[in-house]
Amino acid sequence: MRTLRLLRRRRALLNCAPISQDHLTDRSMRAAVSREDGSDEFLNQQNFDRALAEVVRLVPIPPESAEWFSEKDAIRAPRWTWRKIVLNPAVLAISIALLVIAGVFAFHLVGQLNDFPGSATARKLLTVAGSTRSVMLDPVSAEAGTLSDLFFMKHGLEHYDVPDEFADFQTIGCRVFDDDESQRIAQIWVGEKRMQFFLFPAERDSKTGAVLTFPGWRYVHQEGWVGAVTEHNGVCFMAVLRGREKDLEPYLSGPKQ
Amino acid sequence: MSDRKQNLPQLYRFCFLMLGDSRKAQEVFNTTLREAAVRAAQGELPKEPFWLFREARWRCLEASKTDLQPEALEMDEQDISPQAASQIKQLEPAQLAIWISAAPDPQRTALALFYLDEFDYLEILDIAELKLSTLSRCLAQGRRQLQAWLDAKHTGAPKV
Repeated sequence: MRTLRLLRRRRALLNCAPISQDHLTDRSMRAAVSREDGSDEFLNQQNFDRALAEVVRLVPIPPESAEWFSEKDAIRAPRWTWRKIVLNPAVLAISIALLVIAGVFAFHLVGQLNDFPGSATARKLLTVAGSTRSVMLDPVSAEAGTLSDLFFMKHGLEHYDVPDEFADFQTIGCRVFDDDESQRIAQIWVGEKRMQFFLFPAERDSKTGAVLTFPGWRYVHQEGWVGAVTEHNGVCFMAVLRGREKDLEPYLSGPKQ
Repeated sequence: MSDRKQNLPQLYRFCFLMLGDSRKAQEVFNTTLREAAVRAAQGELPKEPFWLFREARWRCLEASKTDLQPEALEMDEQDISPQAASQIKQLEPAQLAIWISAAPDPQRTALALFYLDEFDYLEILDIAELKLSTLSRCLAQGRRQLQAWLDAKHTGAPKV
């Protein structure tokens, strides 16, 4: 049954066998023709077809119709140039949308690259720094380094130590408060460049509870404020001032990122 | 459109084979190209290949609808003879066009497209919207009928 169908298809193909070899592009047609090549019947058919095609080629073209041949371009679809493609409203809209998406993606990526454990809290505290007035703090005049004892004795806050880089700064005031996540935050105001310090618990792994540490100092920025954060003994220390990184840089020692 | 897809001399020849009349062929050819030019100017030229031939085909069929139709007769058929080529050489293009244009469609379209020697069989199937079996039958029958006509022409006894 299958053989019969194949034979019938081959016969059908042979009946449509091209006159010129140029049109012998289809594989099944090539196979059918090569099988039949040389048979008298097929040879007669090919000669018959060639002779007829030759007659068709002799069909004269009237001069009135031949005029169209010089105007071929009139019926050519307009060519798409790069300029046309770029200025196409749909392409333009898609390009702009892609650029915006890429921009947002890049912004988030850069943001993520600068992130470190505790960066979210640090940013929130920059906002707090911006809204704090000195009258809101308990006046304390001492070296910042000595306030660790105060935080431990009065508030039970262990390891709330001011790093050596900032330990000698003279304080104006300090306070301890709970943030919206009920974390105990210590805030110190110093005279130097109206700088503020924040001490807050370092971020912990939600599963193991282990402190997520990071080396050296990391910067955070928020609305014109800059903070340099470091972690030690499960507590983060952040020095904050209104300005740029270069204003904080001179105070920091060790690796900065 | 590529040059092959808008081979205008071949388009004219196609119209001529379909209609068997130079004046009508010119009319269809010109109308088809005018339509194409208007569409091109409006940027609405169809992207499908061989659009011009497909369009011309429908116009030819439309144009011949109003003509006197040949009587539906059982035509003689003959096996292709080895002398067929020499018989065909004596044919005038107009005679062949009249013979093809008198054939019923889709045989007419099949023969006209095939003997243009412009398309392969897949392209003919596409333009004429035919199945392989139909195209094959149209061509095989067309050859045998044409051979019978050539024989009759040469012996001088019309066998219809």
